[in-house]
Amino acid sequence: MSCQCFIIPEDVLERFAKDKSLSEAQRKSFADAAQFERKWRKLRATYGKVSAAANTMLASRAQTAAPPTITVYNCNHGTTLPGIPVPYPGDATAKRAFVETKAVADFYQKLFGRNSVDNAGKTLMSSIHFSVNYNNAFWNGTQMTYGDGDGNIFVDFTRSDDVIGHELTHGVTQFSAQLAYSNEAGGLNESISDVFGSMFRQWRAKQSVDKADWLIGKDIMGPGAIAKGYRCLRDMADPAAKHCLSQQPTHYSQYKNGMDPHYSSGIPNLAFCKAAKAIGGNSWEKAGKVWYSALTGFAPQPNMKMKTFANRTRTLAKSMFSKDPAVFTAINNAWIAVGL
Amino acid sequence: MPNEIDLLLVERIGGLAGFGVAGSRIRCRGQLAFNSLPDTDQRLVEALFKGHGKSKPSAQRDTFSYRISCARKFGAKTVEVPEAALPATIIACVKDELI
Ligand SMILES: [Zn+2]
Repeated sequence: MSCQCFIIPEDVLERFAKDKSLSEAQRKSFADAAQFERKWRKLRATYGKVSAAANTMLASRAQTAAPPTITVYNCNHGTTLPGIPVPYPGDATAKRAFVETKAVADFYQKLFGRNSVDNAGKTLMSSIHFSVNYNNAFWNGTQMTYGDGDGNIFVDFTRSDDVIGHELTHGVTQFSAQLAYSNEAGGLNESISDVFGSMFRQWRAKQSVDKADWLIGKDIMGPGAIAKGYRCLRDMADPAAKHCLSQQPTHYSQYKNGMDPHYSSGIPNLAFCKAAKAIGGNSWEKAGKVWYSALTGFAPQPNMKMKTFANRTRTLAKSMFSKDPAVFTAINNAWIAVGL
Repeated sequence: MPNEIDLLLVERIGGLAGFGVAGSRIRCRGQLAFNSLPDTDQRLVEALFKGHGKSKPSAQRDTFSYRISCARKFGAKTVEVPEAALPATIIACVKDELI
């Protein structure tokens, strides 16, 4: 059977937006989608012109700018974003969204000198209680959104702080390397979110690389999933493990174009975990700093290959830790172990 | 033959958990009769199958998409549509399950 998969192009969105036979809510939804995609592409093109040097200047300016405002909205089980504003602290879900989003902002500020996802203090907006029994959390290019889970496979998606770190890191990537969401760049994009999501979780728990479990989404697993032996979405230390809901490849030789980013991310995830473990101590002190510079210290490269990212980290490990050659050795060996 | 056997087959894919992708232990599928949809939703689905644009990059990450096919009505073509662009009537027909 032939499959001509496509997503809705902008002209179709615009046609629906003007279609009087659709409800007003449907027309608005299509109009918003078309306008958003247009604005985002324009923004991306503008950002692409900002050189690495200009990024450095922006970074120094960001140090003095106010930290980001954190806002939370309640969708009340509807699907219209953002929903109704929630005054702090709100219910338990809202409080987690407020507290953990603030903690992610602190994580990026304190460890990497980054002021919000755009390094210019962008407000961090989250919507909670999205839809009914919704088994997902996502970044839509502007904000985070969290479902409550169905109570069987998943519980409330704000319960795993690495999930909150994962979604916000999609924002960081959007405003830095601008990695695409398909092929090798897509796998890197997903991996970067898992790497910084897990690193954030370890930092929150003050865990060294040996104490960390390297699991993604451990705290959103519901009773039905746990009863079947699933412990996480992904395991960065053992991406192919049977206890993962998403079992991933562990070596670049298994990679093929067209793979979903949530699958191919296992390869760079394992490389980061191996590198951080070989270096020892805390993941955010050395390996994390190298990964952050590889992501943010260059002009955007949307179609980056995994090998390019790997080689960036090799070069950076040498320059950033010139007096500590074990960092380069650990990172180099980790990439070699996954075939890169 | 009447439209009652024009079944839409729907599969939810992607999301943070990577529904339905290689290696995934979560599957989410459903089906519904095309003519059970309200008129506006039927027209929307027809427009999706008539579309032939190339997809442009999107800023959405970890959002769900839906693969939709209806062999009797639209032949072998399968369309992949972002969740935000689909009517609730179609989204409601799928069910998440562990495999
Ligand atoms: Zn993601």
